Amino acid sequence: MNNWLSGCNQIYRRLAHAFPHEFRMVCGDGLEQLGVDVIPLIWREQGVPGLLCCFADLALRLPLEYLSTWARKMRDITMTGDLFEGTWKAKNDESQWDPKYAPEQACMRFEATDDGYLLVAYGIKDGQAVAERPTRIIPDGRRRPIVDLNGRPVPGVPPGALTFGTQPDPHTIEASAEANGNVLGKGTYVVSADGQTLTVTTEGVGLKGPFKVHAVFERVVPDPFVPQS
Amino acid sequence: MPRKNPESFLPLKSNWFQILVSLVDGEQHGYGIMQEVWERTDGKVRLWPATLYGSLKRLIDNGLIVESGERPAPEFDDSRRRYYKLTSLGKRVVDLESQRLRDLVRILDAKRRREARS
Repeated sequence: MNNWLSGCNQIYRRLAHAFPHEFRMVCGDGLEQLGVDVIPLIWREQGVPGLLCCFADLALRLPLEYLSTWARKMRDITMTGDLFEGTWKAKNDESQWDPKYAPEQACMRFEATDDGYLLVAYGIKDGQAVAERPTRIIPDGRRRPIVDLNGRPVPGVPPGALTFGTQPDPHTIEASAEANGNVLGKGTYVVSADGQTLTVTTEGVGLKGPFKVHAVFERVVPDPFVPQS
Repeated sequence: MPRKNPESFLPLKSNWFQILVSLVDGEQHGYGIMQEVWERTDGKVRLWPATLYGSLKRLIDNGLIVESGERPAPEFDDSRRRYYKLTSLGKRVVDLESQRLRDLVRILDAKRRREARS
């Protein structure tokens, strides 16, 4: 009978181990541990019918938990109703950073505004928390002076510099900056069809000289800036 | 995080109520909750493991319970286990659900008394 019970324990552990990551993050290995304790107990108190109920409970709950996790993710994604809005975290193994600007960690946040987006980039570089100046992207194709959020000139930006953005399709935003007819920098932001991946390609001239970046970001779910219910 | 209205949880799911009642005395781990419910209901209610942990996860998500950082005295502690305890919202919800059930029983008793008189 010991072999029978240890076999049941093994099957139980495998089923419990198959539960979604999100479930296991909250419950830890509690579900697996509980099996070790309750399988002999259920066998003693309720016999085969009890064990059948226990396994049926696991087998039914498993797809339900996956459905629930999937529904929650979908809700988080569709909550904004905007493909870009949200927080994105760089996948450094899939990104090619310019050595001068390579961060250890990088995040981007797109906030939808009345006329476009407010873009904030932040991360960790050389062990220090860093954040870029928030940038407004208004993808209507019009050229506007580069100013800060209060409408004041931005230090380090040549006088007369202009910025403009376009959105050729719902998944793509292009932004550029120029001064006296010369391109200072340009970037393309493309969200994947499933809304989970943001690919950013930027090039231009920064404070440390020319740069070229191709970075891949994944959506942070749930969004740390949106209160969760 | 927006504060939730305890009334919005009523009527409370039976499994949730059983778990919350188990935690009224203090923190408890999953196995302890399962055994307590089994004994308290004279073996009528068995919270099977996946149902129990599914409910615990949802109770945590809804802010009714939290994982307790405090451990019992070493002689009573089982280091493998996670302990859970009621939040103030959880306590309030238990109180409201108990009151709701008491009111229901009072109505039922009143009806029976009327029936007996007639």
